[in-house]
Amino acid sequence: MDNGARLRADGGRPVRAGGCDGQGPLRRGQEGPGRERRGAAGLGPILSPLCPGTSPRAAEAPRSGAPRRAGPRQPSEAVALAGAGAGGVEQKGAGRTTLLKQRPTALPDLDNETPRVMLKRIIRTQPQVSPLAPRISTHEETEEARSELPSRRVSSMGEMQLPDLVPENTSIAAFHMTKKRKKLSISEFERAADKRLPQNQGKFGKSSLPSSFYRSLRISLGSLIPPDTVEKRGLLRRPKYRKAIDMEAFEGGVEQNMLKRKAQDYLVDSQTASGIQTALLASDAEIMLSNTELFVQPQLDEQSQNKLSALEPQLSDSKTSAQRSKISAPEEARLAGLVSSVGTNKGRTQRYSKDFILDCEHIDRMSPVSPEPPANQQEEKQRHSQQSNPMEQLSGSEEVVVGTPEHHANSGYSEHLEKKLSKKAELEISAAEDARAEAEMAPSAEEGIAEGGVEHQGSPDAGVEAGSVGRRSHAFSSEKSGLKPLEEAVEQADDQADELEDQAITIELDGPEEEPTEDEAEDPESEGKKTIAAAAEVFAVSQRSPLQAKPVPKSSGASRRKTREPAVASSLIKKIFSHYVKMPVARDAFKIVEKCSERYFKQLSSDLEAYTTHAGRKTVEMADLEVLMRRQGLVTDKMPLRVLIERYLPLEYRKVLIPVAVSGNKVIPCK
Amino acid sequence: AMEAAGAEERALLTQRLKAAVHYTVGCLCQDVAEDKDVQFSKQTIAAISEITFRQCETFAKDLEMFARHAKRSTVTTEDVKLLARRSTSLLKYITQKSEEITSSNMEQKEKKKK
Repeated sequence: MDNGARLRADGGRPVRAGGCDGQGPLRRGQEGPGRERRGAAGLGPILSPLCPGTSPRAAEAPRSGAPRRAGPRQPSEAVALAGAGAGGVEQKGAGRTTLLKQRPTALPDLDNETPRVMLKRIIRTQPQVSPLAPRISTHEETEEARSELPSRRVSSMGEMQLPDLVPENTSIAAFHMTKKRKKLSISEFERAADKRLPQNQGKFGKSSLPSSFYRSLRISLGSLIPPDTVEKRGLLRRPKYRKAIDMEAFEGGVEQNMLKRKAQDYLVDSQTASGIQTALLASDAEIMLSNTELFVQPQLDEQSQNKLSALEPQLSDSKTSAQRSKISAPEEARLAGLVSSVGTNKGRTQRYSKDFILDCEHIDRMSPVSPEPPANQQEEKQRHSQQSNPMEQLSGSEEVVVGTPEHHANSGYSEHLEKKLSKKAELEISAAEDARAEAEMAPSAEEGIAEGGVEHQGSPDAGVEAGSVGRRSHAFSSEKSGLKPLEEAVEQADDQADELEDQAITIELDGPEEEPTEDEAEDPESEGKKTIAAAAEVFAVSQRSPLQAKPVPKSSGASRRKTREPAVASSLIKKIFSHYVKMPVARDAFKIVEKCSERYFKQLSSDLEAYTTHAGRKTVEMADLEVLMRRQGLVTDKMPLRVLIERYLPLEYRKVLIPVAVSGNKVIPCK
Repeated sequence: AMEAAGAEERALLTQRLKAAVHYTVGCLCQDVAEDKDVQFSKQTIAAISEITFRQCETFAKDLEMFARHAKRSTVTTEDVKLLARRSTSLLKYITQKSEEITSSNMEQKEKKKK
């Protein structure tokens, strides 16, 4: 209470001096030195707004040291609140100074004090909130905290003339403080000001001051935020302009999200998903907003169809044959297969398009999409065929390799699909997830096989491919017969579901090219085993099963359903890329970037595998990575790996990677 | 003084090597020019020879690194194949050549045995 009393005295000095308390001046004199000693926060902000406006002035007069402030504590408070802060802060600072100046010394003491000390003082002393006045003190305190020493002088000067020149003071203060006051939020200020406004008006005859002050402040600061509600807020964080959450809108938004997700997954290839996503969202948003059903009806098709058709050509053109294969050959969810196969089987889906009539919304969406891809893909296929047969075969082989698992599991798949159709909702969700995951991962999943494929594609050397092609064609004829039963089985299931149809298409497409994949896959398979075990296993299964000519669909299908191809999340790639490019990026660009990164990581892992094999090992070790980084040029004679670790990795990783010796013959991490 | 002399010697050797490379590159470019009916400027040949020389340095470092990675102290054809795997055509070519070499070695051994 001592402090309290002191504070009050300080704050109320002007008030008391004004007349509330005749002892004010006395106290001032007494407490002045005491205060100084205690570093009392004779903060202006603590002024209790009790006193009428005149009191500050009266208080001012008796002040010996620094007249400043005073003033109108109220106005000063108001000023401070109004925030131009400049005036208010300065006044506060001045108030502080004046308070401190109880002793006859002048400013210099304040100059010695740092803002930190002042802040401490403020924090130490509790704001005295008078029951009558709003908690302006808190505002003032915070504002004071922000004020700067240099402003004090100006504020003090302003204070002297405050009663008559508040606007000027404000302007001056604003002039000086504008730069430093940017942190101050005008809205907060104004809100506080508004709070005080009615009180100020009531209490002081200077009602005009605050308003004019505010006006001047606004003008000077260019604030256009209208004052907010006159709510009392103490030291609480402002809730800010938060709208009340509307439950309906929230739930509607959740549903929209779900629907959008489904739409995205079903409508677009994995490759195109990211690109079309925004388009779909934009187009579907409105419809979804009003539609609260669990499944969106075909109304969306038109919009999405248009967008998809527009995007498909672009996408197909940009895609390489490998991409096509990737898209067409998801190894997992059949629905994902539907999406991908649609993309790949452009040439053949036309006759199936009419069959794409399912209750599911996704199927409805698919049908508009399927006609589009077929046209595009056909062109692409032709183009590819013109380029180089081996290339196409390679891509086809990739498709086949991935598609073979599907083929094998067809008989089992039909059953699965039937079940799926019955559970549309679940399917959609799972398919969406699978499609997305697969789409993203499909390329990486093929790494084992794609290694050779990618390399071949990278350098379409006729000599290299001719040999492989020869091998492929040799086995091709033998394999085709084996594939026929698969196709038949698949076609039987066509009536039951789109997915089956798509798979059939995939099979037809991939059938001829299935064989080539095997040979191609054999070489990388030995290497691939080390890199991606899951993919290698799948490929091994797929390769062996065609040879048997009567694959065992169920086991491979069931197992493949759960395995996920590893792939880098496209959202992650987008974020990182956007961060480093610092510019808006087109959706197509993201796709290209994703493909590039995929290619890059494939190459990286194949290199790692080669290095590990070179050392006669089966596990990739740090030495292999060091060799890789040396090849990349990241690690040189001048830049050891350890320095790179220290520079770029977080501490946790560093602790794991770099052994550190501690006392007691202990090495962390223990080797 | 000895180090300086050694450095000088190395520099001299480097110069001679570079000259040899330059001459070889020039001959090759001449053949290509006659073959494709294109002209090669001197700067081009100089640039190519400089690039070749620097790449050979890089190759040497990589080969040594590969050999050490395999815990060997001799650079073998395996290391060379690892070096060339980036370029598939080159890899194929080198594999062929290595096979030829090994086969010829085998033949020589058989001859010696006989």
